Amino acid sequence: MAYVATRGGEQAIEHAERLFRSDLGTISRDRVDAVRKTMPYLVDRLMGEASLYEPDLAALALAQAGGDLYEAVLLLRAYRTTQPRIAFAQPVTQPDLFTVRRISAAFKDIPGGQILGPTLDYSHRLLQVGVLMGEDFTPEAVPPAAQPAPATQPSLIDWQKAQGIVLDHPVETVAPEDIPDLTREPLLFPVPRAHKLQSLARADTGGTLALGYATMRGYGDVHPTVNELRLAEAPVRLRHPRGTIFSAGRVRVSQAEIISKSKNLELGFSATFGWNEIKVIAAATLDIASSQPNPASAATEEFILYHTEPVESSGFCIHFKLPHYVTFQSALDAYRRVKADREAPASTAVEKELTQALQDDAP
Amino acid sequence: MDEVRTGDAVIGQYDHGQALGILASARPAAIKALAERVLDGFGDVTVISNRTGLAMLPYQDTVKGTAFHLGEVLVAEAQIEVPTRDLEGYGAVVGRDLEHAMAMAVIDAAIAARHQASVILEFLDAERRHQEESDRQRLTLVEATRVQMETF
Repeated sequence: MAYVATRGGEQAIEHAERLFRSDLGTISRDRVDAVRKTMPYLVDRLMGEASLYEPDLAALALAQAGGDLYEAVLLLRAYRTTQPRIAFAQPVTQPDLFTVRRISAAFKDIPGGQILGPTLDYSHRLLQVGVLMGEDFTPEAVPPAAQPAPATQPSLIDWQKAQGIVLDHPVETVAPEDIPDLTREPLLFPVPRAHKLQSLARADTGGTLALGYATMRGYGDVHPTVNELRLAEAPVRLRHPRGTIFSAGRVRVSQAEIISKSKNLELGFSATFGWNEIKVIAAATLDIASSQPNPASAATEEFILYHTEPVESSGFCIHFKLPHYVTFQSALDAYRRVKADREAPASTAVEKELTQALQDDAP
Repeated sequence: MDEVRTGDAVIGQYDHGQALGILASARPAAIKALAERVLDGFGDVTVISNRTGLAMLPYQDTVKGTAFHLGEVLVAEAQIEVPTRDLEGYGAVVGRDLEHAMAMAVIDAAIAARHQASVILEFLDAERRHQEESDRQRLTLVEATRVQMETF
């Protein structure tokens, strides 16, 4: 594909940007705060896809993009490039997770019990149209339990491994700075598992769902059940210059283990920034599906990871609306030549037939 | 509260990691006010760095034990030195609050110098109680959603 620079239209371009921004109006600190406070799940989704955790910046990106998620992801990813990497945090493990939701669809009685946490899973989805008539919708308060839930919950898979239900894989001990990093290395196939899980963590939610759903519907051998789904806050543990490890604060994370009933109770895993259940369930399903010996074409690692990268996919899609005049004109010229070439013999044939007919009719 | 004691106490009953963890999660206005107070009579402070940057957060896959990068967290960090006491202080917090990080670095250096220890200890106790209570309240609401599923 070839491109050429175009010239002209600077004023129109500037006015078009002004028109976009004037439609949104003034972006104030209050507006950003309102986005952050009232749409935490949207902010979470954005931070996961941008692979950058900072809720204020994510809310600002949403406000500035007028809610266009792909523009907002691009803004955050671009901002990220202005920041130096100053540390590798300590790896997050299950006992670190301040857990507010942990459920299993595969096992009813799990060690630690099932905690629904904040969810609309079993609620009626009714639009509160009264709000539009001026009636505020104020949620009812949760009656607190007499005792708090445990701050951390055991890993369900550890229990399953102890029971011999699933295979126990040895934990890899890798220094944080030696973990393969997609932001510094290209995605090469077959991918290291660390690249695959990092790529899924920053994948587009909608794209991941589409491919995960295709697998769930039967384009693959995986029959998924949620082994464990968890929403939690993970500590960001940094190293003090004198060597002390300490928590610099927490970030919201979600993770899913998916178990497939089809073959040897295989498991898939996914985790991401923010609370985004659909993404991790779909991504963990794709983790298993892409690990099969002969996966369906839309469940291969290459297909999944290339097509769920939000900046590359959205960027490639929207670049088609930018000027392609030369390449298109070139294609048009070729089309005209082919058409002319095809028509030329036909004309000759017609002419021959006409000539022959005239000769036949001649006295 | 994510802090578990793993080393020798540096102030009161807190080891260095616990103290830093409480300071990082402290209420911003309170820790900044404490730092202003601690600076009184502490000596000149030189700022080595006070910036935002990225901390890559690795995560452990539960299925195959693979460590992978979940993504980067924006953090604010500060490093200072107090030449008259031959000390350095460091602070880092999740987010963009450079003043919070700076206040933490000042208090970290003050703890090392045993400067205004009783004031700092009082602050650590109060913030620890606040953080524990905040977590406890949240978890009582979480516990209210515990479910016993029945199958027929």
